[in-house]
Amino acid sequence: MKRHLITTIAVATGSVLLAACGGGSPGAGGDPKGPVTIKVSVWNYATTPEFKALIDGFKAAEPSITVKPVDILAEDYARKLTAMLAGGDTTDVLTMKNVIDYSRYATRNQLMPLTGEAKAVDKTAVPALSTYDLDGKYFALPYRQDFWVLYYNKTLLKKAGVDEKTLTNLTWPQYAELAGKLTSGTGASKVHGTFLQTWRSVVQAVSAAQTGGDQLGGNYGFFKDQYALALGLQRSGAALPFATAFTQKITYKSVFSSGKAATLPMGTWYASTLLADKASGKSTVDWGMAPMPQIAGSSKVTTFGSPTAFAVNKKAKNAAAAKRFVTWASGPEGAKAIAKVGVVPALNDPAVRDIYFGLDGIPNDPIAKKALTPDDVKLEMPISDTSSDVDQILTETHQLIMTGEKDLDAGLAEMSSRVRSEVGR
Amino acid sequence: MRRFPGPRRTTLAGWTFILPGFLGFAALTLVPVMATFGLAFLDWDSYSTPEWVGLANFERLAANPTFWTALGNTVFYAAGHVPLTLVASLGLAVLLNRRIRGVQYFRTALFFPYITSLVAVAIVWNLLFDPDLGPVNQLLRALGAGDPPGWTSSTTWAMPAIIIASVWRDMGYYMVLYLAGLQTIPPELYEAAEVDGAGAWQRFRHITVPSLRTMTFFILIMLTVSSFKVFDLVQVMTEGGPGRSTLVLSQLIFREGITEGRFGYSSAIAVVLFAVVLVLTMVQFGFSRRDER
Repeated sequence: MKRHLITTIAVATGSVLLAACGGGSPGAGGDPKGPVTIKVSVWNYATTPEFKALIDGFKAAEPSITVKPVDILAEDYARKLTAMLAGGDTTDVLTMKNVIDYSRYATRNQLMPLTGEAKAVDKTAVPALSTYDLDGKYFALPYRQDFWVLYYNKTLLKKAGVDEKTLTNLTWPQYAELAGKLTSGTGASKVHGTFLQTWRSVVQAVSAAQTGGDQLGGNYGFFKDQYALALGLQRSGAALPFATAFTQKITYKSVFSSGKAATLPMGTWYASTLLADKASGKSTVDWGMAPMPQIAGSSKVTTFGSPTAFAVNKKAKNAAAAKRFVTWASGPEGAKAIAKVGVVPALNDPAVRDIYFGLDGIPNDPIAKKALTPDDVKLEMPISDTSSDVDQILTETHQLIMTGEKDLDAGLAEMSSRVRSEVGR
Repeated sequence: MRRFPGPRRTTLAGWTFILPGFLGFAALTLVPVMATFGLAFLDWDSYSTPEWVGLANFERLAANPTFWTALGNTVFYAAGHVPLTLVASLGLAVLLNRRIRGVQYFRTALFFPYITSLVAVAIVWNLLFDPDLGPVNQLLRALGAGDPPGWTSSTTWAMPAIIIASVWRDMGYYMVLYLAGLQTIPPELYEAAEVDGAGAWQRFRHITVPSLRTMTFFILIMLTVSSFKVFDLVQVMTEGGPGRSTLVLSQLIFREGITEGRFGYSSAIAVVLFAVVLVLTMVQFGFSRRDER
């Protein structure tokens, strides 16, 4: 009896585990005939309007395919997706939130090749496509391209007597001087001239993009000028101290949307949030966009950014329908759909740009137009198998330098030595 | 229909009662925990075929300064959190184990932090510890401290700040355990000691502390295990920063496993953490047995 019971328990436990682990069979998915439903992994569906725009637009174009979003919290997106794929999840379309994760999934053979689809795309119209090239193979198609611009509060500029036109060709020292001029008030009513989000990219990625330095290189002297500028801004009181923003988890959204900072270097994704906030009455800020400030002597507008792409899960249930969604979303129709909600598409096309600038609330003056047509957009972080380890070290040392726990030279030396010894660069 | 004889029927009934709970435990805890010991010797990204690497994960661990930093931080946290929580909870329990007005209110108020949302706790403590405008530093300045600590923005003070917040959070829970223990001490002991002329401190030292030995041992074990496993409060208060100053082992396990997908390597760290906790618990059991003799 006892043995029988133990066997029963073992079998029951085993079957429960198998049921939990079994992922479901990969669907080759022939040509979709008749109504099919595909699932797309997205983040913060309610507050990220582009997904709804794409899903609704696709539904109109292909009525036989229903698209269901799989909503994931933005901060947990990468981890959740990794866990889902490890568990054999069959969600058909996977949104590639960042490029490092893309390369990880692709090299682990978790994505379906889209090389044929990518070859059909005009590379000059979609410069971000090359980012997804992994030894001649493509596993995702970009649909949006974010890059960094300088947001500014028109009301605060006017109050300080600053002509908006001066923002068209700013150098970093001029930007620092301007931030000082735009700082006013004390205590709770203080308005900072600028706000620097605590992310390392605010200092490091922009510096790498404009100086040509290599963020994976293990030699970080080229960050020095940009750090000196950021530290100077917080020392002079023109920017909120890093320590305060870091410990209180203060974000650019709360600061700029409430008129507590006059300028803000930030990605183009913020424009759609500002539009939505203004429409819902959450924010009354009258804002504009200028090109990112440049290092002295540069005649071009160089900034950094990251594309976002759609990929098809290797284990997709309806791969054929999923591929149709991905090609549609990254094509001209998808680009128009997201431009309508204030998102910059990966497809650089005059017709699409007109839609974007024609939106109610999007600044369409010459300064904004220049900001949104940069000469060069460098990738925020180069893709390599060491990217995430280097990123971790650069983030940790960034915190030490910006909180003043390490002086600048010592911090940069630690960055270089840690990357060289721990990652072997 | 065949009927089971008495004792067998009881056994069967027993198994039936524990089966649902055991299945959940087996699937979600027992099997993954056992798997950790095997995974520690593999190179596995959760997707590709696992590869046997022997002790390579442990060698890599030993050579990784981040691991040693995290281990040091975890020990630092435990060294602060365990004794402080123990003393605070015992003190509060003794204080609230008498018939005074509003004692129920104070007991509830002190237990409250333990059941409060952790994220709320972290946000409020971060506000209190704000280097410039936080009430803690304003108080310190008012008391004459010219250069108060930077708390969670400082590599030196971030861990003490977390320890303070975690002692505040946990002491109410252990206070309740101590209160239960205190109520088992016969009042006659105190009365007799008083008749013999023992003062308050002597009564505490010679009656309360020895009578609570079993409870103290239990609390010590629970506190040690929970201190070495600390994750949540650190993750929401500082995320291991600034730099690596508050990075603890559980965070490293999480980061290497879930974020980076190096399940073999993160399992090796988990095995080390397990070994540390096991050794410490055995040492504590050893001391406890020696005391009993």
